[in-house]
Amino acid sequence: MQVYLPIAEMTVDAEAILLLGTIVGVLSGLFGVGGGFMTTPFLIFMGLPPAVAVGTQANQLVASSVSGVLGHWRRGNVDFKMGAVMLAGSIVGSFIGVLIFRLLQHLGQIDLAIQILYVVLLGTIGTLMLIESVITLLKKDNREARGARQHAWMRALPYKMRFPRSRLYISALLPGGIGFVGGLLVSIMGIGGGFLLVPAMIYILGMPILLVAGTSLFQIIFTTAFAAVLHAVLNHTVDLVLAMLLIAGGVIGAQVGVRLARKVKGAVARVILAVLVLIVSLELAGELLIKPTDLYSTTVR
Amino acid sequence: MKHFNVLTLFVLVMTAAAIGPAGTVCAREVTVDLASARVDITTGFTGATLVLHGVKKEPGDLAIVVRGPERRVVVRRKEQVLGMWMNRSSVEFLDVPSYYDYALSVPEPRLAEPVVLADNEIGLNSLDFQPTNESDPEEVRSFKEALIWNQISAGLYPLEPGNVVYLTDNFFRATFDMPSNVPTGEYTISTYLFQSGNVKAIDRTTLRVAQTGFSADLYDFAHNRSLVYGLMAVFLAIASGWAANTFLRRD
Repeated sequence: MQVYLPIAEMTVDAEAILLLGTIVGVLSGLFGVGGGFMTTPFLIFMGLPPAVAVGTQANQLVASSVSGVLGHWRRGNVDFKMGAVMLAGSIVGSFIGVLIFRLLQHLGQIDLAIQILYVVLLGTIGTLMLIESVITLLKKDNREARGARQHAWMRALPYKMRFPRSRLYISALLPGGIGFVGGLLVSIMGIGGGFLLVPAMIYILGMPILLVAGTSLFQIIFTTAFAAVLHAVLNHTVDLVLAMLLIAGGVIGAQVGVRLARKVKGAVARVILAVLVLIVSLELAGELLIKPTDLYSTTVR
Repeated sequence: MKHFNVLTLFVLVMTAAAIGPAGTVCAREVTVDLASARVDITTGFTGATLVLHGVKKEPGDLAIVVRGPERRVVVRRKEQVLGMWMNRSSVEFLDVPSYYDYALSVPEPRLAEPVVLADNEIGLNSLDFQPTNESDPEEVRSFKEALIWNQISAGLYPLEPGNVVYLTDNFFRATFDMPSNVPTGEYTISTYLFQSGNVKAIDRTTLRVAQTGFSADLYDFAHNRSLVYGLMAVFLAIASGWAANTFLRRD
């Protein structure tokens, strides 16, 4: 069924978008990630303007993170205080990110920026995740360790705060800074940034692993909501029809993913996710490095 | 239809007035009518076919040009920098028709001299859009060609002209296919009657391409009350996320 997207001002195949939403939903149910890293490139590949892909994706992530956080909340696995401090940083980050997005769009470099960020971030995270999960599989050791000890300079930072839920006494600048980077990513790349926040919370903050997923999702709800509203107001790039199709697919997919997750071992799931992440980053690296067939691109002002 | 007749009359009067007493051109020598004076873009829109009928009172050849609203367009060219292909040089053009299509009753060379065609902007070669900044003409031409080619691939410019079909000696029809990504706005349709390589008469009419119904409402909402729209989008997302977790949960 063909559906006209009023904001993107083009017709898309509704089934294709639903399918994309479902696949991403399966991933998010299976791995506990938002899956934005796959949606944005695919939407752009389908011919949607990058700005609409990013703006709409931010809105779709609100739905998937709300749905995800509720389960963690019920089990008491959300550190709200930590989430709130990260949120303060991410609000600043997403505001600056939207401004950077506009600037890059004006300069004609937004596609390049999105590509480089994807290649560098996904490439790095994917490689690290692959190494880590393969080592875990080989060692047949399923104990999840608590994060590394903090470096001396991190302990020397001012504005120390107590986080009773995580049993941490650390500078508020650390979670705030991590949130800031997360906010930038949401606005510029249209991804929730969970795949970056989760390791940062484990290795930099030293948070208990049990609390990490719920807390990052809690924070991502607000960051993506803020970014979606900013994109809607400043760039008019949130397409509700597109968002609803993605959300509908995501809801169905997430249920499948959650059921699958019970059958797949954590480390195996991480290998699959790492390979997917690497495929997407290699694909984008190819676009960046191989001479494009059409050197020219046009933008309507 | 009444509205349209008034419009046609208005266009005829305007054309006649514009040509003035010195011209031998009389607008009544060719008249066209659209099956519908507007193209409605609804949620199920997959493109439209524009059907146009016309009558000419004198012998001669016909050219019909459909032009979409003009836009400013930036054309960028990728160059290799540090091994990466990135946009480097750019040329911005004013008055680029967002849509262009034309139909002829005889092949271009038999219609008129290229100069005459260029003056009336008939055919892709005669499209004349100006760069905003002074740059090397050779450079500008390659950007212009790229822009035209880009529009052709998007289905917004024709690969080749369509045919004006004669139903009788004087009664003709032309059809134009518009893709689903057709730009919205006010279109002009100009019908030229050529006699021995010169323009004998012109008829101009307009066409409105616009979103209607739900699509239009949503578009207006998003652009005119963007804060409320953004908040509503977020609210809908929260509600669907909550509903998904609440009703589909199995644990």
